[in-house]
Amino acid sequence: MNVFNMLIPMTIEGLRITIGVFLATLVISIPLSIIVAKLRMSKNKIIAKITGIYIYIMRGTPLLLQLMFIFFGFHYIPLIGFAFGRYQAIIIAFVLNYTAYLAEIFRGGIGSIDIGQFEACQVLSLSKRFTFMKVILPQVVKNVMPSIGNEVITLVKDTSLVYILGVADILKAAKSVSNTYSTFIPYIFVGIVYLLITAILTKLLDNFESKFSYYR
Amino acid sequence: MTLVVENLSKSYGDTNVFSDISFALEKGEILCIRGKSGQGKTTLLRCLNNLETLDKGSIKINNRYLCKEVNGKVNYASQQELKVIRQDIGFVFQSFNLFPHMTVKENLLLAPKFLKKLSNDEIEKKADELILKLDLSTKSDNYPYQLSGGQKQRVAIARACMLSPSILCFDEPTSALDEETMGQISKIIKELAAQGIAIIIVTHDSAFVEEIGGKVITLKN
Ligand SMILES: Nc1ncnc2c1ncn2[C@@H]1O[C@H](COP(=O)(O)OP(=O)(O)OP(=O)(O)O)[C@@H](O)[C@H]1O
Ligand SMILES: [Mg+2]
Repeated sequence: MNVFNMLIPMTIEGLRITIGVFLATLVISIPLSIIVAKLRMSKNKIIAKITGIYIYIMRGTPLLLQLMFIFFGFHYIPLIGFAFGRYQAIIIAFVLNYTAYLAEIFRGGIGSIDIGQFEACQVLSLSKRFTFMKVILPQVVKNVMPSIGNEVITLVKDTSLVYILGVADILKAAKSVSNTYSTFIPYIFVGIVYLLITAILTKLLDNFESKFSYYR
Repeated sequence: MTLVVENLSKSYGDTNVFSDISFALEKGEILCIRGKSGQGKTTLLRCLNNLETLDKGSIKINNRYLCKEVNGKVNYASQQELKVIRQDIGFVFQSFNLFPHMTVKENLLLAPKFLKKLSNDEIEKKADELILKLDLSTKSDNYPYQLSGGQKQRVAIARACMLSPSILCFDEPTSALDEETMGQISKIIKELAAQGIAIIIVTHDSAFVEEIGGKVITLKN
């Protein structure tokens, strides 16, 4: 069938974008969000407040708008002569957005750890850093895994927003083929691809979660 | 003197928790602090372990001031000094606060391996000895959720002992135990005292106070 002769190579091309945006966002956002969560919980009121405003903006506006803002926004500032490239803008927007959501999840996770854990570390003369890395964070990760999993799945679907900057992900591939052949089949096909990706991720996330089931 | 405590006072806002508490402990002495609920027993232990700051008074551990009152103001040792002084005093929390994601053995090893005062071999050896002494041999690879209350308590004691403290504080050590395990814990505490560790026990359990012997202070308002 002609449709698939065009659809499959284009989908594979598109997968590079979809998966690339997905992986880059996760790999950068997760460590960054732990730092942002700690800043949000900082004793320094100003730092906590600024971080709070950042999170508010990122969660209070659509990711689509953020993408447009970061890519097109600079073109409207005269004399600055600077703008991000498409791919840069995509990664920056996705990372900023997802870091905010993940930071709130980590903040909740850190807050839910019994104060006794911190105190036990304190009386054992452990440093703050060591306490966080070896005692607190492993317990936080276990607690927040289900919520992080949700965000990961949402991210897969959010990658489709890159169309607004004219980048060809799998959804854009489907659209092109659909227009060319006047058929709806590409959309069904790409829907199945999303489902497959989600199925694989769900399995991976379950495996990762069960890694932490050795204790309660 | 292992521990000298002078004129300790502490309030939370307007509520006075305790005032003008003084006592001293020698190597291997046992001190029981009694008092009704809400009289500040836990708070006193927390102050000794620097989990809470005092309004007045001085605490001297092995001739080093954890904090010292000068002209009505309490000066605490620097962070660097505190780190050292604190290792001389251990705390067995009422709720134990074991690390749930670590085995019994890992709970014991964590702090000494971080502090690196001994070689890894020496640390391992010490952990094995304590595990044996506190009758935890069959549990050393288990996680805290797999232990009984009495076993968790012994892990908490072993974990504190890994740093070889001169003083060990217990908050309500019998609160989670039946009579038999109570006998066991008093035996353990007496053994620790016999090795020269000064012991402070906060409790409202009169039977236990009698069983354990030692000095007694009663907190009153
Ligand atoms: N963080 C805090 N903020 C304000 N008040 C506190 C705080 N911690 C303790 N208190 C108050 O200080 C008093 C002493 O509390 P503490 O826990 O030391 O008593 P306790 O003698 O250990 O009691 P119990 O036998 O019930 O354990 C209580 O009135 C309590 O309400
Ligand atoms: Mg108490």
